[in-house]
Formats: sequence, structure tokens, C-alpha cells
Amino acid sequence: MSGSARASISISLLAAAAALAGETPPDPGRVATLRLEAGIAQTPAVYLVLDPPRQVLEIKSRGTVLDSIALVGIEVVTQQPLLAERRTRPVTVPAVWRIVGEPSDDHRELIAPVELRPMPKEEDEESDDGEAATPAPAGPTPTPTPVPEPEATYRAHLDGGWDLLICEQLPPRGLFDRFAAAVRDGWQRLRDEGRDEPPAIALAMAAEDARRLHHVLRSGTSILVAAGAP
Amino acid sequence: MVAVLLLFGLLGLALGAALLVARAGRPLHGAPFVTETALTPDEEDPSRVAKRAAQATASLERVKPRGAYLVVDSYRNRLRLVENGVPKHEAVCSTGTGTILRDPRNGREWIFDTPIGERVIERKVKNPVWAKPDWAFIEEGYLPPTNPEERFDPYSLGDYALYLGNGYIIHGTLFQTLLGRRVTHGCIRLGDADLELIYRNVRIGTRVYLY
Repeated sequence: MSGSARASISISLLAAAAALAGETPPDPGRVATLRLEAGIAQTPAVYLVLDPPRQVLEIKSRGTVLDSIALVGIEVVTQQPLLAERRTRPVTVPAVWRIVGEPSDDHRELIAPVELRPMPKEEDEESDDGEAATPAPAGPTPTPTPVPEPEATYRAHLDGGWDLLICEQLPPRGLFDRFAAAVRDGWQRLRDEGRDEPPAIALAMAAEDARRLHHVLRSGTSILVAAGAP
Repeated sequence: MVAVLLLFGLLGLALGAALLVARAGRPLHGAPFVTETALTPDEEDPSRVAKRAAQATASLERVKPRGAYLVVDSYRNRLRLVENGVPKHEAVCSTGTGTILRDPRNGREWIFDTPIGERVIERKVKNPVWAKPDWAFIEEGYLPPTNPEERFDPYSLGDYALYLGNGYIIHGTLFQTLLGRRVTHGCIRLGDADLELIYRNVRIGTRVYLY
């Protein structure tokens, strides 16, 4: 377990424990989050807890933090014309989102033998001097080439019509950068190569963290979005 | 003078064209992640919040692992032995490649992922013999044998095996130099010393968390 994971004991539990000890009244939002987590943790699945105030995404199972990912930023990302009126509605929390379309796994290698031949008989493998050959390691063989890595920027579809956009950098905010992005996108659209994407919750993180999160995001994975102050 | 005017004219044209193209674009726009807490009046009732917190905490405590458990990080290829929340040992392991194998006879596919989620150690075996499944032959380009005797392999799993169900096993390896890499068909491979330590320190029923 990484240091950060060890340190990130469930804040919900801490808040609840403090409340029980009579120190501070529990935050109703945190308690609602805790109750939702108690429901999710009844199954053996791995789930994620997104804690916006702490800017952290925890990988958990059965209420236990297995790992945690520090977020560089969280934003609501939509595709909009350059000079459109900006309007985004608040995200209701606490909430449980579910992955309904896992990120693309185009990076997977496909092994597809064209045809299968019969296993060679043992006598065929004997050496010339008549002694039986040393048993070959017939078991799991090593992969000769490195396993391809997934991209560090990708989308997963959530129930409710949103996407989860995992990226290294959030969309640029500067006027010049936005103008350049609008020109790029406009040029693609003029060539019929533009793409409309659903609105997304963008989580920015280090590339390595994005790749290991890709490993965990599978259809059906729950993401609990915490409410209340830590 | 004419050249300067021409230059400015070209620049103006380029900017105008860029503005026209930009108007057609719909780039990504980021807005702050603003949340609103939606609670029922019952959830906000101060007199009941503490009780609800205690109930939820107790519910979570009931499902949490107690004593020793294993955590497998199949991205970084690390296996940790944890006791009561405290890491006691970390080992380098090998996990699933994530590759897909297709049977040319019928198109059946196997995905060599290490599973994620909670499992338990169902069986512990010393000197295990591997009953090779069909994919082990197909991957090598061979037809799976009809004689079951031809499936048994007493070498590949090493000295110990801890079975996690559905064919997934924590076992040893003939390929020690590949530890730390994603090279398996979904099983978790350990070096000899780490495998023996894990075998001796976990019992049947021990929980294993894979992610």
C-alpha cells in the first residue's frame, strides 16, 4: 500500500468516529456518503471513491483503501462554441456513478493462431542418443514483447449520460489556447472529422496514475462521489 | 510600402479565415466542478445524523477484512501481505498480460486479465500439478489433447499454489527474471522465497484483494 493510501484512511469513518466521540457534530453530507459506501461495500467488487474537497480518488474494496490517486484537478467539461454562453449545472452529491462503457482497450494484443496442429508425441522429442529429453517447461510461457500501455487520456461512459474523462491536463483556459483549440476543432469539422462527445467529469492526474486507473475502470465499477467537508 | 500592405492584407485574411474556422469549432470547455449536496430532510435531521453515522460505520466495519489479507496491484505487479491494516511484506509478482487469445476453430476468446475484486484462498497445495486448460495448448498452436493425462504439468507452478477460484492461482514460476512484468494468463506468479512466505502466512479463507 502506498504511503498516501495508508494515510488516506476513510475520512468518512474519521468524521463518524469523531462524531461518536462527541467532538464535532457529524457532517450530514459525509454521513450520507458513508451510508452509500456501506451499501456498495457489501459486494466483493472494487469501487472508487471520488472526494472532490480532498482532490483524491481512492480505490477501495470492502471499505478498505487499496490505493489512492492524487488529482491535479476536477472540472466539468463540455464541447461549446468559442463565444457561447457558459452554463453548467452543479453536480448533485453524494452520488454513485456506474461505468457502463469501459474505456477502449484497443491496446490489447490479439493472439490468433491460424490453425492448430496435433501435439508432438513424446517419442518424437527424444534425443538422438535414446535418452528421454528433459521435460520442457510446457506451462505458462513468457510474453516475448512488452505489453502495450493504454493511453493516458481516455473516456469511460457513465450511467446518466455523462462521461468520465481521464486526462493529464484539463482543457486550457487562456484565450489564445481556447482560440487555437477552436480552430483545430473547426478545421476537423470542416473536413467531416469532428466528433461530438457527451459532457464529462474530467479528472486530471499524472500519466502513470491515468494508466493504472485504466486498469481498474471496468463496466459496472461504481464511483462514489463524496459530499460534505472533510 | 506595397509589400507591407500586402503583408498586412495576408495577415488579415489569415486571421479572418481562422475566425471563420474557429466559429465552426466546438472545443472542450472546462468549468469548475461545483457540487450541491442533496439530502432528504430525514438525512439532515441533527438528532438522527449521529445514529446513522454509527450504523453505517458498524456496517462497514463488519465487511472489512480482519487479520491477514493479501492485496495484489496488477498494474505495478506487487503483492502485499497486510495484517490488521499494517503492511507486513511486499513482493514483486507477475500478473496477466491483458492479451486476447482466439481459438481458430470456433472463434472462442480468452482474455488474460488478472481479475479484480475480492477473492478468497480456497485451497493451498504443496508441489502442485497444473492441469493445463485448452488455452495453454491453443496459444502454442496445438490442438488440446483428448487424453487428460497429457494435460498434467508438475513443473510450472513451482513449490506451492494458492487457489483463488475460476482457475486463478498464486503460484511460483520457471521464469524468475520476468517477475515484475505482466506476462501471465491471469494468475499471480511469485518468486520462490516470497511464495513460501505467503504460503506459510495465510490460511484457507484468507481474503485477497486484486485491483
